Amino acid sequence: MIEVKNISKIFRQKNGEEFFAVNDISFSAKNGEIVVLLGVNGAGKTTTMRMLSTVLQPNAGTAIIEKYDIIKNPQKVRANLGFLSGDTGLYSRLTAREIIVYFGRLYDVKDEVIDSRLEKLSKLLDMDSFLDKKVDMLSTGMKQKVSIARSIIHDPPVMIFDEPTSGLDILTAKNIIDFIYKCKDDNKCVLFSTHIMREAERIADRIIMIHKGSKLAEGTWQELQAETGKRDLDDIFIEFVNREEHKSFDDLKLDEIEGENDEL
Amino acid sequence: MMNFKKTFTIYKKEMLDILRDKRTVISTIVVPIILYPLLMVGISSIMSRQEQKLEEQTAIIYLDDQVRDMNSGKIMAYLSNVKNVQIMNEVDDPMNLIHEDIVKAIITITDTVNSSGFQILRAKISYDESDEKAARVFRQLRDEFVKIENDIIGDRLADISVDVEILSAVEVIKDNIAPPEQMLGFFIGQILPYLLIMLTISGGAVVASDLVAGEKERGTLETILVSAAHRNELVFGKYLTIITISFITVFLNLFSMYVSFQHMLGQTGIDMQNINLPLGNFALVLVAMLPMITLFAAILLSISTFSRNIKEAQSYQMPLLMVGMMAAMITIFPAFELNAGMALIPIVNIALLFKDIMMNNFQLDYFLIVVGSTLILDIAAIYYSIKLFNNESILFRTAEEKSLKFWGKEKRDIFSQQFIFIFFTVILLLFYYLGAGWQMENLESGLIKTQLLLILLPVILILRVSKNDLKQTLRLKKTNFKNYLVAILAAVPIIIIVSIITQLINIIYPIPESYLKAMENLLTMSDGGLLRTIIIIAVLPGICEEILFRGFIINGFKKRGFLSSIVITALLFGIIHLELFKLIPVIIIGIWLGYLVLRTNSLFVPIIAHIINNTLAVLAGNDNLPIISEYVREGNIPYWLIIPAVAMMYGLIKWTENINAKEYIGE
Repeated sequence: MIEVKNISKIFRQKNGEEFFAVNDISFSAKNGEIVVLLGVNGAGKTTTMRMLSTVLQPNAGTAIIEKYDIIKNPQKVRANLGFLSGDTGLYSRLTAREIIVYFGRLYDVKDEVIDSRLEKLSKLLDMDSFLDKKVDMLSTGMKQKVSIARSIIHDPPVMIFDEPTSGLDILTAKNIIDFIYKCKDDNKCVLFSTHIMREAERIADRIIMIHKGSKLAEGTWQELQAETGKRDLDDIFIEFVNREEHKSFDDLKLDEIEGENDEL
Repeated sequence: MMNFKKTFTIYKKEMLDILRDKRTVISTIVVPIILYPLLMVGISSIMSRQEQKLEEQTAIIYLDDQVRDMNSGKIMAYLSNVKNVQIMNEVDDPMNLIHEDIVKAIITITDTVNSSGFQILRAKISYDESDEKAARVFRQLRDEFVKIENDIIGDRLADISVDVEILSAVEVIKDNIAPPEQMLGFFIGQILPYLLIMLTISGGAVVASDLVAGEKERGTLETILVSAAHRNELVFGKYLTIITISFITVFLNLFSMYVSFQHMLGQTGIDMQNINLPLGNFALVLVAMLPMITLFAAILLSISTFSRNIKEAQSYQMPLLMVGMMAAMITIFPAFELNAGMALIPIVNIALLFKDIMMNNFQLDYFLIVVGSTLILDIAAIYYSIKLFNNESILFRTAEEKSLKFWGKEKRDIFSQQFIFIFFTVILLLFYYLGAGWQMENLESGLIKTQLLLILLPVILILRVSKNDLKQTLRLKKTNFKNYLVAILAAVPIIIIVSIITQLINIIYPIPESYLKAMENLLTMSDGGLLRTIIIIAVLPGICEEILFRGFIINGFKKRGFLSSIVITALLFGIIHLELFKLIPVIIIGIWLGYLVLRTNSLFVPIIAHIINNTLAVLAGNDNLPIISEYVREGNIPYWLIIPAVAMMYGLIKWTENINAKEYIGE
């Protein structure tokens, strides 16, 4: 279970100015549910997820993973979490098996258990052929599979996958999506981010739209369709972005009018 | 909060990862095993061949006999029998031949008469000392002339019927009782520390930069950070890896060096039956190495954690390597010996300890001080590493290039820390390269020029150019009478505190006589009278230095808060004095002056304090204030005085009118 409560992250830009990479976002994800964070590049999806992984500290708000607070108990959070993102690379000089076993041990999993899980994961993700090759020699798709196996070797109740299919061929992507479905069947809580609308459409139980650090909308696909009257997720997303921008435009106009009044 | 099993898991993985990297394997294992034998064998065979060649080569010398009598004729006869020397006479321009390297030496024979009326032959040997072969010829000729002289003396004594043997009255016999091991130890003791410190740093450096900065570069750091491993476990796992690799490097190098050395000595024909390299000492050195290896490992790990990529880490490692090299070189100077004071200076202490160990001069108490003080630093460094590892803004520092931007179109902030540091460095360099020269030429005018042109002028210029208000920025404002009084009254306790500290430092690191002499010269340069000295030594620096440090520089650290601004400014103030022995006293005075300006918001207060302090020093130096001279200069100020002095300082600090509370919140 994931519960995000009014989380914010401020970054300092090169010129010294500060901006909200994530601005007061709240949402939750239950076990047995796939929740998709949807947004364009730079919307704040990865930053949100990195805060949940405890790698970054939020400037305000917090989140609960299982029953643990990400600020007060980061160690327990990481033990209950499988995390994968574009920034979690693999050791190129080690073999796939060595990496997965290494991480299993770091999660305090017994060696026999690691072996049996590795065997199962290898079957599911079709990894047998390259398990003992050095990561250096593997293709992007193979590496992504190793990353997935590495991130969930401790069988965590919560999984966070940041754009796991980006840059992959359709066969590998399908293999990974199928695997994520299986995780859902195993009653895991899955948080999944993407900027590809079609992927979100297909996989999500619920969609959370993020734009410029803030939450635009939240709901099942059907709910979002009903709210906007649009069918296609692309159109729904654009509709919400437009609404948001009009809102701020209206605010601006209001300010201007007030300003003029002041002058008068 | 540390699980040793996990730390060990991390360590095992890092070792596996590192040892699969060919660069590491080559630099830590292959190079030492192959390099030394090659080097030793190569050098020894080349050396002996060269030696032989030099001896076999015939050197041409030119002989110009301007005396042409029987005795000078003897010279000719002698020299023509010297091996490998060919004599040439009757040349137009012998000097030209020496420049063209045809002739190695020119002997010009003249003569004169000594006070008893005997003839003295003068043989001037002109040669080029920088030419190895010519120098060799010179030594050969010099030895020949001793024989010639003996021969002529023999003739003279025979003329007056005296036995030549009358000349032998004293015989010196050289008996070097140092056993061969000791001589070897002496030799190794000079180069070994240097070598070992280099090896430790360079061996650990490759691995260290790879372990964190490398992980950042390859994007694997976040993978490990989101795992269940605790940050402490990660730091220690990586730390142990660096230590292991450093140790392997050092051990293999020592081992290979030891074996190669024995081979080399065997080849040069030295009887190896009697000489045994002190293996026990090598083992002791290895033990003493451990704290140093761990210290460098911790520093290297901090550097790697701080750096964004391997290249950046390597550029930060360079200064460490340079400092290590310079500190290790100290063993070459005979004046430095391990004592309680030296045992506290990092790196230097270990270098000196190694030297002592190799010369069979091992002393347990110093050994413990060296190891203990190194371990304390070690713990501090590793603690710092862990702190860095827990700081997300350092762990994920993005590649921002600030340094050059300042000069670009961006808004210029001359009160940024970065600019202040650059500004200070420039002044420091000017001080070192220009100021020192001026003062060498003429102490008085040099000091005046330094103060006005290098300290005052840059501040005025930069504030003018950046259109800052001088009065406002430098705090040239009046304050209460009470605050001025504080500045004046504090001079007494300050001088007591500083003198006692100097006295304490003097016990551990005795101040050299020559330095005291130079100090005295400075304080008593009263060619133009005492008043002039006071103006040059007290008033001028009081104004100029305060404007630079407490007026300008201190503003750059505002963001860091009240105390940090004062301390950092005082550190820089200490550095610019370029005198190691005065560093701590100057910093203490600097802290007080900084406190005064921030508390009273008026630069006039520290200016007054500074002038009074320097004036008292001048007066004491000129014996105008017998009490101060007696106690302070002679270094026998009673220690108990520190209690009333500190009490008085405390009272004065409390009494200072706080005018500046708003600017520094949290004070």
